[in-house]
Amino acid sequence: MSYILLAPEILLTILALGIILLGLLISDRSKNMLGYLSAAGLAACLIYIIGTKGEGRFFYDALVVDPLSQIFKLIFVAVSLIVVIASIAYFKNNRNQDEYYALILLATVGMMVVASANDLVALFVGFELASMSTYVLAGFEKKNPASLEAALKYFIIGSLSSALMLFGMSLVYGITGSTNIPAILQYYSSNSPVSLDIIAMLFLIAGFGFKMALVPFHMWAPDTYEGSPTVVSALLAAGSKKMGFVAAFRVLVLALVALRMDLQMTFAILAVITMTYGNVVAISQRSIKRMLAYSSIAQAGYISLAFVVTTQMSIAGGVLLALGHALMKGGAFLAVGVVGYMVLSDNKDAKNIDHLDNFSGLGKRAPITAFSLFVLLLALAGIPPSAGFVGKFVLFYSVTAEAVSAASGWLLFIVIVAILNSALSIYYYARVIKYMYVNAPAGERIKEPTPYVVAILLAVIGTIGIGLYPEPFVQMAMDAARVLGV
Amino acid sequence: MFSEIAALIVLLPVLAFILTLFLGKRLYSGGALLPIAAIAGSFIISLGVFFEIYPDKTVQQSWPWFAGMNLGILIDPLAIVMLLMVTFVSLLIHIYAVGYMAHDPAKPRYFAETSLFTAAMLGVVLSDNILQFFIAWELVGLCSYLLIGFWYFKPSAAAAAKKAFLVTRVGDVLFLAGIILLYFNISDVISSRAFSLDQGNFILQFRSMFEAAKFIDPSQLTLITLLFFGGAVGKSGQFPLHGWLPDAMEGPTTVSALIHAATMVTAGVYLVARTFPMFAATPVTIAPELHIPDSLLIVAIIGGFTALFAATMGLVMNDIKRVLAYSTVSQLGYMMLALGTAGAIVGAKAVGISLFHLISHAFFKALLFLCAGSVIHAMGTNDIREMGGLSRKMKITATTMLIAALALAGIGIPYLNIGTAGFFSKDAIIEGTFELGMETGGWGWIFYGFAIVAALLTSIYIFRLWFMTFTGTPRSERHPHESPNVMTRPLIILAIFALLFGFMQSGFYLYLEKNFELMGVEIASHESEEALVLPPIVVLMPVIVGVVGFLISYYIYHLKKLNMSRFVSSGNPLYRLLINRYYEPRISADIIGVKLTHNIAAQSGEFVDRKIIDTLIIDNAISNTLFRLGELVRKLQTGVVQNYASVTLLGIFLLVVLLKLTGGI
Repeated sequence: MSYILLAPEILLTILALGIILLGLLISDRSKNMLGYLSAAGLAACLIYIIGTKGEGRFFYDALVVDPLSQIFKLIFVAVSLIVVIASIAYFKNNRNQDEYYALILLATVGMMVVASANDLVALFVGFELASMSTYVLAGFEKKNPASLEAALKYFIIGSLSSALMLFGMSLVYGITGSTNIPAILQYYSSNSPVSLDIIAMLFLIAGFGFKMALVPFHMWAPDTYEGSPTVVSALLAAGSKKMGFVAAFRVLVLALVALRMDLQMTFAILAVITMTYGNVVAISQRSIKRMLAYSSIAQAGYISLAFVVTTQMSIAGGVLLALGHALMKGGAFLAVGVVGYMVLSDNKDAKNIDHLDNFSGLGKRAPITAFSLFVLLLALAGIPPSAGFVGKFVLFYSVTAEAVSAASGWLLFIVIVAILNSALSIYYYARVIKYMYVNAPAGERIKEPTPYVVAILLAVIGTIGIGLYPEPFVQMAMDAARVLGV
Repeated sequence: MFSEIAALIVLLPVLAFILTLFLGKRLYSGGALLPIAAIAGSFIISLGVFFEIYPDKTVQQSWPWFAGMNLGILIDPLAIVMLLMVTFVSLLIHIYAVGYMAHDPAKPRYFAETSLFTAAMLGVVLSDNILQFFIAWELVGLCSYLLIGFWYFKPSAAAAAKKAFLVTRVGDVLFLAGIILLYFNISDVISSRAFSLDQGNFILQFRSMFEAAKFIDPSQLTLITLLFFGGAVGKSGQFPLHGWLPDAMEGPTTVSALIHAATMVTAGVYLVARTFPMFAATPVTIAPELHIPDSLLIVAIIGGFTALFAATMGLVMNDIKRVLAYSTVSQLGYMMLALGTAGAIVGAKAVGISLFHLISHAFFKALLFLCAGSVIHAMGTNDIREMGGLSRKMKITATTMLIAALALAGIGIPYLNIGTAGFFSKDAIIEGTFELGMETGGWGWIFYGFAIVAALLTSIYIFRLWFMTFTGTPRSERHPHESPNVMTRPLIILAIFALLFGFMQSGFYLYLEKNFELMGVEIASHESEEALVLPPIVVLMPVIVGVVGFLISYYIYHLKKLNMSRFVSSGNPLYRLLINRYYEPRISADIIGVKLTHNIAAQSGEFVDRKIIDTLIIDNAISNTLFRLGELVRKLQTGVVQNYASVTLLGIFLLVVLLKLTGGI
């Protein structure tokens, strides 16, 4: 049995452990190289994931490598890569860098395990590995009370959700006698579901909903994104959030096919509430990190439309929007990081560094960052040519197509609500753009830190690249959706 | 090997655009070398591709893009001659601009934008489908806006840029409507199983369009092609959308040269040439006696009328560039005329005739503009009334501009086949209209009338320009000097082409004739078997009017034997009509712009928006409600983690209720 297809996971695990060891041996000053080392490892994984085409099953069917797992691994590794690159500047000369990078890599491995999980236990282990690592990362600035508060809230709500999810899993195991997803499917093909199954499924949805930040499981997200170090917020919003989606995609087959549950209306209501809630609250935010957090909630609402109709195309649309959102949101958070760097270099004790006012005249003060943020915000609003447009287009189109073929008026209504929501979101995105380009700058032009610029530009290039040449990505997403057999 | 990297033809200038825009300030001469190198690279690749595909191959590459559309490259004879012309002329203009723009502080922006302009035009030429064609076409429009308004601090330049953008936009909207209509029509014939796409073909690719055109309802096809032609009318400055082109003079002269010769106005003619099989497939209903398909007839009428109409205005303009601008409008009219009329008789050969004039025009018009730029550079004014006697100071400019003028007037020696480029290219068009008149009689002669009168006027206005600028005594106190070498060398090269390009005529026609056969499209030809022998007077006529025009101008403007002051006065209604450009600026700006669009459309829109939607119906209810709701919901976010946990558990409960209500359980 060859484990070559799991090479990225293995490489990152070894790298993470190696970095911890190295951290004990080398001086604090030479720890700055660890960021480059991690970035190199992640870049290698990214290339490997893009370049290999194989499929396989490992560890007694606990992990699978298939198109669905690969596209989500692509998301996770890409997000970690840009976060690590930006962290080279953010954590420069921090004496705990070794732990930071090791935790990021372990969190990435955890997410990748979730992407590949074909067994509820493997899924849970991956979830917990990623969660534990990110709990610590959120509170990494241990002298900053906001960071600690963020981490604690995240930890408490996260633990609660894990408990709910585990409870749901244990119920499933109790009923079916197996934790392996295909085996569970097998069980239901010969046994009809009981109402306890549905309760189990709801607990699972609640657990995933926590990661996805679906209303009403979203409460932790704005506080945590706001308080965490900005690079970690980027990882949480862009990366670990998608863990919930890939898990939901895989387990949803259970609910829909095996249990023959009619979740359409439930998910439609959840999706509409989530996107409307996210957008409406985002309007009144003055903290950009909070605004981005609520916009993430809104985007989660769009992506959940994929669960409403569950056609191949809608799931492909969901996957595409998840991919696009990872790049756009990651890049946007890192741009906020540059503003934080700028504000702190003006005044060491500044508070509320991500306040909207600090974006005044950013076009003059940090032109590359401002332009990139401009592009990313428009992309988040779904303006072509961008990944945000492609994702929303495929997703909304798929729901419309389903509405037409099923002659379903309320599905069409859902699409209209989603499009109106997109229009609404332009308000708060455009407000930032107005601050950046119309308002007068508050200081001199700064030198934008190169690692940030590289990371943000990678996100911009990815966003625009997908927008300009969507076909291969659409193909990948369609292949991923095919795995689910919908 | 060049064919494989053909995509670089357009990608190189794009790359140069990005690099020059961001790094131009730090590079030599404002980054001029990057675009020059990139366009030279494009030229070399185009040349390489030409030698690989000549005489009867094509390059076709295509990649899926999204939703059944593709990105692709099609290089057939039509495209390759355009590629060679665009890259070559644009290269010379870029080199010239190093001298012309030497003192401008915004050089990096200039060179970045012209590089993108060239790239956009190359994108138009290379496209293998109409959607990509349209995208590049729009990019051309955007660049023209940026470049015409390059000196944006001048109000007149800003206004001219706006006018160019808005007027061409009228055409663009028609063009887009045509594409949408075409898409639905092709979808229809596919779903009715009359036609199916071959493996690897995409719905809006040119070859699919040509095949599907046979199945489309003829009246729809006429509508589609006319909408396409609407786009061409806007881009190529044909009547009635010609007004933007003379105003576009506000940009730097090099930009005018690019617009007029290489990168913009020819796009409209190219569009009609590219989709010619569809135009030729439209039914013959308007004028059965002329055998001209409806759409081509409209093309011919608009083209012929524009050729004459624009030439009349060229007679009286005093701005050196404005005379040339009207000349361009008029010559583009000839190209459209050729497509329309020759299309009726010789079928696919019309494309060769039109394109040959397009390319020879590109050479001599670029040359005329660059000479004008050289004169303006020396004199600091555009007004030819303030010039005079420049030939003694600026020998190279004067000589090369004379060559260009001779080419524009179509001077040459018939029967010996010696002459300037314009002699070969324009005479073919005029003779084509004569043949049409001969075959059909009646009002078929109108096209010959347009062509021959316009030819006379062309000769008069261009030599008027030349004599007033270069001969006689200086009419103002200035100290002109010849331009530097970097500017005069391109003039000399272009002059050589303006003189000698005509000799490639027969080879060019032969090469382009097969263009659509290579794509498997047949176009009917009504040419009679035996070659029509034209009477000598017809063969001589174009040259005669050219020479007559020269003599008239010589008599009036050089010998000054005729006092023009009686004609050139505001008391003369004809002169008033011409100098006011048939009141076109007033009609388009005051009547259409202010009265119709602003007063009626914008004001009523404003009324509906502000008075009705904002106040009466909702009184900002929606936005206020949203803000209040946002504030309200924001308060739910208490920051107390116990509440969060409660909400999470409540959420599960709500899910159960929801499932129960929606019948999920």
